[in-house]
Amino acid sequence: MNIVFPNRILPYLLLAPSILLVLIFFLYPAVQSVDLSLYLVNRVRDVKVYVGMENFQRLFESDAYLNSLQVTGLFTLTVVVSALVISLALAVGASQPIRGFGVYRTLLIWTYALSPAIAGVIWALLTDPAIGVLTEVLESFGIAFNWRRSNTDALLFVAMAATWKILGYDILFFLAGLKNIPRDVLEAAAIDGAGAWLRFRRMVLPLLRPTILFLVIMNTLYASFETFGLIDITTQGGPGRATDLLIYRLYLDGFRSSSRIGLASAQSIVLLLMVATLTIIQYRFISRRTFYQ
Amino acid sequence: MSKVVRRMLVTALLVVVALSLAAPSLSVTAQDEPVTINFWHAMSGSRGEVVQAQVDEFNAANPDINVVAEFSGSYAETLTKALAAYSAGEAPDIVQVYEVGTRTMLDSGAIVPVMEVSGGELDQSQFVRPILNYYAIDDELRCMPFNSSTAMLYYNKDLFEAAGLDPEQPPQTFSEVFEMGRQIVDSGAAPYAISFGWPAWILEQMFGMHDQLLADADGGRTGLASEIYFNSEFGVQVLTEWQRWADEGLLFYGGREYSANDPFIAGEFAMLAQSTSSLGGIENAVEFELGTAFLPALDGYERTGNNVVGGGCLWTMAGQTEEEYDAVWRFYQFLSQTDQSVFWHKETGYFPATNAAVDALEEEGWFDENPNFRTAFDQILAGNDTVASRGVLLGDFVIIRDIVGAAIEDAVVNGVDPQEALDAAVEESNQVLEDYAALAG
Repeated sequence: MNIVFPNRILPYLLLAPSILLVLIFFLYPAVQSVDLSLYLVNRVRDVKVYVGMENFQRLFESDAYLNSLQVTGLFTLTVVVSALVISLALAVGASQPIRGFGVYRTLLIWTYALSPAIAGVIWALLTDPAIGVLTEVLESFGIAFNWRRSNTDALLFVAMAATWKILGYDILFFLAGLKNIPRDVLEAAAIDGAGAWLRFRRMVLPLLRPTILFLVIMNTLYASFETFGLIDITTQGGPGRATDLLIYRLYLDGFRSSSRIGLASAQSIVLLLMVATLTIIQYRFISRRTFYQ
Repeated sequence: MSKVVRRMLVTALLVVVALSLAAPSLSVTAQDEPVTINFWHAMSGSRGEVVQAQVDEFNAANPDINVVAEFSGSYAETLTKALAAYSAGEAPDIVQVYEVGTRTMLDSGAIVPVMEVSGGELDQSQFVRPILNYYAIDDELRCMPFNSSTAMLYYNKDLFEAAGLDPEQPPQTFSEVFEMGRQIVDSGAAPYAISFGWPAWILEQMFGMHDQLLADADGGRTGLASEIYFNSEFGVQVLTEWQRWADEGLLFYGGREYSANDPFIAGEFAMLAQSTSSLGGIENAVEFELGTAFLPALDGYERTGNNVVGGGCLWTMAGQTEEEYDAVWRFYQFLSQTDQSVFWHKETGYFPATNAAVDALEEEGWFDENPNFRTAFDQILAGNDTVASRGVLLGDFVIIRDIVGAAIEDAVVNGVDPQEALDAAVEESNQVLEDYAALAG
């Protein structure tokens, strides 16, 4: 359908509300962050001292920040890889012609309806070092799991909760993606003698590339931006700084502290640049080999 | 106009209408409506209910005032929110701030000292001495003492007995904690021996009660502190002991606030160093016989100072009308009435803030019947009032306590050398203080 507008201004007028919203709520604060990152600021008393690039310099000299970079990298990698693998497996299973498919599908995607904070509460209860049910079960297998006392367990614990929470979202997209794969192509392959695994690896997987690309990007964004609630409600970055993700560090400096808003602004800019770069790389890398229908 | 364009215009119009409906409507306050006082607090759970009960009673007795108490998150969140709200011109009238926020509130320019709110009517001498000492700067109270507490040792008498220890002889020193803890764990009475709530605060308590100064400028009381001393020989020694307890499997690390309370109630360990304000909650929940004692002292150091007072104080935010300040002052007076102070203490375990309330409690035999409630009191009055034991005031203390908390975790959980962990924490904290001072002008 092709609509021709009677004059040239009307389209812009119609777009104006959205553009205005973006300007006010996204662009203006972003510009402000850039400005703030050049100052030492006391948020309460509204006092500013110009320090130039010192905030950035301080960031990359700070052990706490370098630690956060490392922790976030590890966390994001764990979440993205395990979420995609598990959700793809579940989606493939759930897309088989089985009885009660609708029920499975609903049950599989409802974790998406929870906020990361709720996911945190659920998992914190399940794996509470003293009273958790899952802790008991693990103990009966001779595995000691205590996220308050062990760095590895703590990171594993938040990654587990974050993965579980995003599964529903990923499964939803995989189910849709699987549904779009033409049956006749797979049938033809089956007749030609391709086994289930071969069909999956050589046909289903390549045809799912656009979905996978999309989900890798979305999951990366999720792991690096949306897990604040989970951390705040469970480990609060600890023990020590084992789960001190970039987004949590940003919160500590920007909101708990009254004099580090400049440092926090610098962090938000670095975080933005990182995610943007990552997204571009992923897009380039995966889309080159993506087959769009 | 084409159909499509018309439809779009209608949609746009609808959006505009919806937006204007969503905007806060302006309300006009009538003359005879009660004065509304917004009171933000950080009291969750059973404590929150007690606050609400007091507020309800006040409102019922004062129809011309309507105090609206609102739980606004943890202490740190409440502080942050109140100051952000102040910058935005939407501050509450009263905000409860914990000891950590004292310096920030003082320097914020966002508050009115309680003496001013009362129009000079506030009688400071009515308050229990150590509480007055903590919140008074240059001998003048800046906020209304409300929920003061300190830290003490809770212990499980049943587990002590099961381990073959005398349940009436709690440990008094670190080495006794270690020996008794060893016996508790080895005898199989409990999986662990001891845990803490608020570990960074317990470390501050250690400095106070051993009369060790925690920062320069008299602990930030005669000027802005620029250097903290957590990594002093004393501090390192305390943390080294804690690390030894952890390495030996005696210490159950229970998080930074109240997470250790539940496992203590469940009998997971026999001793808990925690805020005295948890007494009400713990006593109601335990099925064993509960004992309380002074915090154990570090061997080789004299226990000369008081225990530092912590907990919250009520701050009055600036920028309100005379009428509102009047109402706030009446609410403060109500809270410090003897019956209210007594009620608050009995329900929560926080100190009764006034001398009159203490006398009333003594008179009715409350402390004799409830010796656990007496422990906290005896403890803050046991030592001497010294500069160090008045507690430290630091700029941006919230973040400094986070830093020190992480350092303690690094030592007891991750096995980092205590000296190293505290050195790093002090370096980072001093930077925070430097920034704070640079902006204080």
